[in-house]
Amino acid sequence: MPSEPPHKLQRFVEGGISVFVGTVDADKVPTCCRAIALSTKDDFETITVYVPAATGQETIANVATTRRVAISASEPLSHGSIQIKGVSRGVKLAPPSDEEFVRTRLHQFADVLAELGLPRHVTHRIAHWPAFAIEVSVEQVFDQTPGPKAGTPLA
Amino acid sequence: MIKLTSIARCFQGVIPSLLASADATGMPNVTYVSQIYLMDDRHVALSQQFFNKTRRNVAENPHATAEIYDPVTMQAYRLRLKFLRSEKSGPLFDTMKLRIQAIASHTGMDGVFRLIAADIFEVVRAEKVEGFLIETDVPDDAVAPSGLRTEIRGLQLVSDRINRADDLETLLAATLDALDVFFGMTNTIVLLHDEPAQKLVTIACRGYGGGGVGAEVAIGEGLIGTVARERRVLRISGLDEGLRYGRAVRRSVMSDGGRAVRPEIPLPGLPDAQSALVLPLVIEDRLVGVLAAESRDPMAFGEWDEAYLGVIANQIALGIERMTEDEPVAVEPDAPALRFIPPPPARARHTLTYYRDDDCVFLDDEYLVRNVPGRILWKLLGEWKREGRTSFTNRELRLDRNLGLPEVKDNLESRLILLKHRLREKCPDLQITPAGRGKFTLEIVADFELVER
Repeated sequence: MPSEPPHKLQRFVEGGISVFVGTVDADKVPTCCRAIALSTKDDFETITVYVPAATGQETIANVATTRRVAISASEPLSHGSIQIKGVSRGVKLAPPSDEEFVRTRLHQFADVLAELGLPRHVTHRIAHWPAFAIEVSVEQVFDQTPGPKAGTPLA
Repeated sequence: MIKLTSIARCFQGVIPSLLASADATGMPNVTYVSQIYLMDDRHVALSQQFFNKTRRNVAENPHATAEIYDPVTMQAYRLRLKFLRSEKSGPLFDTMKLRIQAIASHTGMDGVFRLIAADIFEVVRAEKVEGFLIETDVPDDAVAPSGLRTEIRGLQLVSDRINRADDLETLLAATLDALDVFFGMTNTIVLLHDEPAQKLVTIACRGYGGGGVGAEVAIGEGLIGTVARERRVLRISGLDEGLRYGRAVRRSVMSDGGRAVRPEIPLPGLPDAQSALVLPLVIEDRLVGVLAAESRDPMAFGEWDEAYLGVIANQIALGIERMTEDEPVAVEPDAPALRFIPPPPARARHTLTYYRDDDCVFLDDEYLVRNVPGRILWKLLGEWKREGRTSFTNRELRLDRNLGLPEVKDNLESRLILLKHRLREKCPDLQITPAGRGKFTLEIVADFELVER
């Protein structure tokens, strides 16, 4: 549970955010995978990260083995970033009722990248559904904005 | 395993890469990396600017995974990495350092973020992330830049123009024109080194709407000033991404409240440039100037452009050297130099006033030019008034101690170009036109009263 007031973290579970997930296998070999969306229902006690089924198999296998998860959420325009660390509480195939939410998040991400010159149709091609929903108990949140303060716990 | 050189554009820094590492206990860490440097098909390098978590992790556990993206198709690739070593000197370190220094300088962050080390990784495996993109009928490379270039022919054309030029202004204008016409480099700038003043002065530019000549850049400041100081080529793709990174560091530092930071330096040309290629113009170890090309296309400049423009830069540097060498004393017998031409019939009247204290010249009531270019103009006009002369040589200006030119590296040609530009902009009735190498003529189509105060 982070000590940072949830409203300061809220922007990172909204649209237009770049999200990705880091995990490790049993041999402590790390891997990463682009995710599409983040959500929280309990002010960051737990967080759900949506990983495309098409590209997330290795991540899901690692989560099943070691349960350790690192999630980076970043604003592409400003590079304002946080990193969330925690342990998995469970993985499931996201229900059809989440599909619209996940697609909207991808399109909002595409809108931001379009401001940086990447055509929307290119971003829209990123596979996003079906998706795995990984529920994570949040243990720590770090500032990850580039600079001398990167890596400091948010307090 | 995919050959890394076949996906080289993923390494241009247009789209940030992802990097996962883990500590000795197996706790993962993920971060963005603004650019991964491609060394060869088995090795990449990461820049270490702050002693961060990734750096500590790879010291404990050498395994890491990077996800990189093709900036045209967005296809993702994963690189399975093993940390080998850190380098704190050498050619790779210098190349990576230059880019970081330039961005840091541009964003007013000199010394705040700097390259600590180049971290070298072995690429154990490289693979395409299958299923990352939804299949469409559009081929991945449909929007990729392509087109065969006739490099040698183009080089010959530019080289011919440089060799044929009689004066520095023609040389630079013809070269920049050729880079535009034959190679699509629409925004280019040449700056000359003013060594005594430790600055660069814009002497020619193309693609900026006619302005820009005379603009100055301090040595060591911004992209261009950094290239001048380091005398190394700088090629930046995804410039905007690099600057956003620099600005993020700047905001982070300023939010700390403990450090005054200087303002960001405006980009020299395009305010929305996405890529830049900046080359020092060097003769042996001596800096002559800088050639810069910019583009709104984030991938406008590749290795080929760097190599090609490097050859052109050498030719320009030699051309500048040739133009600024002392001219021969003897004048060819049939040359029409130093002719007596009576003042032409007046069509308009102007007053030119030279203010000795301020060392500047006004046209009627408007400022025209100052310092050495002003003194040159006043000398030429004085000769014209007293003797009716309109033909002059660079050499006689060099020998005139009243002009205050330095004994060596006087940059007379650049000062004459600045004067010509000012006259073109402000005084069409009085022009300086080239009349062969080291010679020029005053073209006067009005009656000028000269006043000295």
